[in-house]
Amino acid sequence: MTDALRQRSRRRAGIGSFLTYLVLTIGGIVMVFPFLWQIVMSLSTNSQVMSVPPTFWPGQLQFGNFVEVFQKIPFFDQLWTSVLITVLRTAGQLVLCTLAGYGFARMQFRGKNIVFALVLSLLMVPPQIYLIPQYLIIQDLGLLNTALGVALPGFFSAFGIFLMRQAFIGLPTELEEAARLDGANVFQTFYRVMLPLIGPSISALIIITVLWSWNDLLWPLVVTTRAENMPLSVGLAALQGQFSTDYSVLMAASLLATLPVLILFLALQRRVVQGLAFSGMKG
Amino acid sequence: MTRLTTVPRPAGDLRQPAAGPRAGTPVRPPRRRSRRSSQRSLWGWAFIGPAVAGLFVFYLWPLVQTAYFSFTKWGVFGGSTWAGIANYQKLLSDPAVLTSLRNTIVYTAIVLLGVPIAVVTASLINRPGLRLAKLYRVLFFMPYVAMPVAVALVWRLMFNGDFGIVNAALAVVGVEGPHWTSTPGLALVALGVVGLWASIGFNMIIISSGLASIPQELYEAAQLDGAGGIRIFFSVTVPLLAPTLFFVVVITTITAFQVFDLLFALLGAMNPAMPQTQSLIYLFYSEAFVSNDKGYAAAIALLILVVIGAVTAIQFRLQRRWANID
Amino acid sequence: MRGKYAVAILASALLVGLAGCSGSGSEPAADGDISGDLTYAIWDQNQQPAMEKMADDFMAEHPDVKVTVEVTPFTQYWTKLQTQGSAKTLPDVFWMNGPNAKIYAPSGLIEPITSLVDDGQIDPANYPESLDELYTIDGVQYGVPKDFDTIGVWYNTDLLQKAGVPEPTADWTWDDFKAAAQTVSDKLSGDGVYGVVAELTGQQSYYDSIFQAGGYVISDDMKTSGYDDPKTIEGLQLWTDLIASGASPSVQQLSDTTPNQWFTSGKAAFYQAGSWMASEIAESPIAADVKTVQMPAEEKSATVIHGVANVVAADSQNKAAAQAFQAYLGSKEAALTLAELGAAIPAFNGTQQTWVDSEPGFGLQMFLDATSYAVPDPESYNTTAWRDLEYELLPQAFSGERPVKEVADELAERMNALLAEEQ
Repeated sequence: MTDALRQRSRRRAGIGSFLTYLVLTIGGIVMVFPFLWQIVMSLSTNSQVMSVPPTFWPGQLQFGNFVEVFQKIPFFDQLWTSVLITVLRTAGQLVLCTLAGYGFARMQFRGKNIVFALVLSLLMVPPQIYLIPQYLIIQDLGLLNTALGVALPGFFSAFGIFLMRQAFIGLPTELEEAARLDGANVFQTFYRVMLPLIGPSISALIIITVLWSWNDLLWPLVVTTRAENMPLSVGLAALQGQFSTDYSVLMAASLLATLPVLILFLALQRRVVQGLAFSGMKG
Repeated sequence: MTRLTTVPRPAGDLRQPAAGPRAGTPVRPPRRRSRRSSQRSLWGWAFIGPAVAGLFVFYLWPLVQTAYFSFTKWGVFGGSTWAGIANYQKLLSDPAVLTSLRNTIVYTAIVLLGVPIAVVTASLINRPGLRLAKLYRVLFFMPYVAMPVAVALVWRLMFNGDFGIVNAALAVVGVEGPHWTSTPGLALVALGVVGLWASIGFNMIIISSGLASIPQELYEAAQLDGAGGIRIFFSVTVPLLAPTLFFVVVITTITAFQVFDLLFALLGAMNPAMPQTQSLIYLFYSEAFVSNDKGYAAAIALLILVVIGAVTAIQFRLQRRWANID
Repeated sequence: MRGKYAVAILASALLVGLAGCSGSGSEPAADGDISGDLTYAIWDQNQQPAMEKMADDFMAEHPDVKVTVEVTPFTQYWTKLQTQGSAKTLPDVFWMNGPNAKIYAPSGLIEPITSLVDDGQIDPANYPESLDELYTIDGVQYGVPKDFDTIGVWYNTDLLQKAGVPEPTADWTWDDFKAAAQTVSDKLSGDGVYGVVAELTGQQSYYDSIFQAGGYVISDDMKTSGYDDPKTIEGLQLWTDLIASGASPSVQQLSDTTPNQWFTSGKAAFYQAGSWMASEIAESPIAADVKTVQMPAEEKSATVIHGVANVVAADSQNKAAAQAFQAYLGSKEAALTLAELGAAIPAFNGTQQTWVDSEPGFGLQMFLDATSYAVPDPESYNTTAWRDLEYELLPQAFSGERPVKEVADELAERMNALLAEEQ
């Protein structure tokens, strides 16, 4: 390569990487802008929110908006409910889906294929379809207005089973054989040998379940009627429905509702990204 | 013999070469075989049983119930009577069904525009030696993590026709912005923009990992052949990324077809643009829980099921053809 | 039969009530053996403090009963109740409105108040007769009237002064109304201020103007829609005109920013709205500048009148306690609590003045005087079905997207089809 050519390609690379940074930075700002705007609005007065041209920074920060959120909705009760629902649902799915995923991936038994086909077909059904019958079941169990009632149908997930099956199916057979030669029974093989090998898929399952369960609206909206038993998503929707609520208070509330998951994501972002990427590869 | 008894093999595994230990025992003792298979079945069902039972109770049976409901007429508070195909006749003649189907398709199409965007950002982020890659990834991914109701409320404020930041930005370049979330037609675009914004992060992560799995040698070989960046992108990256892209498109389509939370919070129930913006799921929701025509709602639900099933089947068919051409 | 007679009965009953005929508030029976947890479901957050005060007062008398007040926004309230109704898990005591009473009572979901009346815990004579009638289905009364509401025009004196528009008087007409609103919009457009805002749902806007124009929404026998009547169309036309001239923000603007937001943030001079807005407006930054006036007249003066009632779920686990609470909510003491907190006009005869006095600056007496020309909220057996049609179609008329007459004719046709199904 001549010097001139090398220089040209370096310059081209320089322009290329400048463009890369430019595109990514503009894109990144667009992506994150609503969150920044949410923060600004939550610290403004209502008349600043409605001002033309917009007020980009309130002179005096209105932390009172957050205080008003605590007055209008039982925030900490709802936070606790959201946490409880999320933990219950995630734990339930983790146990049931890993077991079933292993069963479908690594075991041969009568009726397996037909059952698995049924599970797969459920993947495409929009969840709203189950709403009415599920509500009747939860009501019969006396679980309305409880975290368990909100979480229970979510213990069972066709998607989770599918994800776990895909994870187990890729593992080599030799491992099971070795375990069995060591005298392990089927469950021990599953629990001690195979389960630890699908870590990334499990974290993907956890992440997806946590997100779905934290952010879900329609189902908990129907199941919970008491303000202190609602998860944050429902509390937020209720606050929006109160037409007397100020925009700034609404922004403060929506910020508070999103914050726990955002913080969790920022703390674990490497794991989240890897886990999801992994689920994509498997799917 | 030990191998034969310990390694679980599919029952029909008789295509083995007629040599080795098995050749000596051509007829298996039937009792033993059935005991082993029933023990295997026991273990298998023990593993899948709890989850499958739950799926049956909470999903499969409700699905059957919903299918049954679609042939009934409900009183306001339950107490249904057989209605034959009346709900399906209504389905065919109700203009709202066609409108909401169209809306759902348009919305999905807008959100799918995010896939090429995700491909571009993913390939930029995956460029070797890029600084701040981690930061960019976080920024792009944040919308996917955030609660849809919460982000819809923010967007609603940003789209406000009178004091929203979107129109303020348009005013800078001399355009008088419309009322995005309450004008029929535009509201669907606004909804699509929010849906697109929220979906890019997830797609980017998946595509990113797809890109990372393409062997580096292929790029080097293409470079040696003198191919430029854009040509490499289309002749190396895109074909090898096809399976990942397929996955992303299917997932995005299915998710977009089920849009509800965003619509619910971005437009609000009394929005004059709602009839021209509502999705199939929203129509189902309002028939089931607002108009309280649960039988008709069940028929709509089944229509949704059929449409999603058909779209997915078409996508799989297309993928097969695509793969054959390669 | 319902329309005209009901007005006459209503008006006379209210006038008698307002003249100070205060019934001796029926004391709830002091039986100490009622107990249990009760849920009291309501939809208006502005009234939550008043409802909680009543619950506290009731619990002080009945220590074994625990009442929890649940607020659900109006747009989600009926959705939720219908689901709960299907599952027989309705709240023990809850707010009911006229249209829904006709759905809930025949389904056997709410408890008649007959037994409470028989043993003297509730005396229907304490409430305006028309409100009792609103909750009487096939001769049986199901709800205890809690409050009533009429519609009026709230206005911002500061904005009128800036625009040089004189304050309206009770005898103003549609033309005065249009001109005043137009002037405000013209003069103050630089500040983004409009003349008038109203929620474009029946009760607070077009039902009133339809009645003022001499039209009707539904015939007295509940069999035919009034939307193809020329006078009804005139009533709709008012709002189309106000929007077209720029006196009012557009349909889209009113959706992006709700009318109460426009008014309480000082961006609209006139706000046509219900009496129940008093406490919210009192807490807003513009409260000191606000006064009220009756709505302008066209052919005549008219306002929609409606009232909420407290009902008990037929399937309540603690029905005795629930009924005792229902009786307490219907007492004079509870009515005074409601009035003092400015939450709503109490239904209990003779307590309304307390509500007027709760915000002396607003001139709330007007809302009581409005009962003399009030018309009941138009209803049939399945009101919600054709109200959904109104919400779907009428915005097209108000926005000028389609001619008012064309939309009204379509609405009449489709509404008639629904009404035929009801029969």
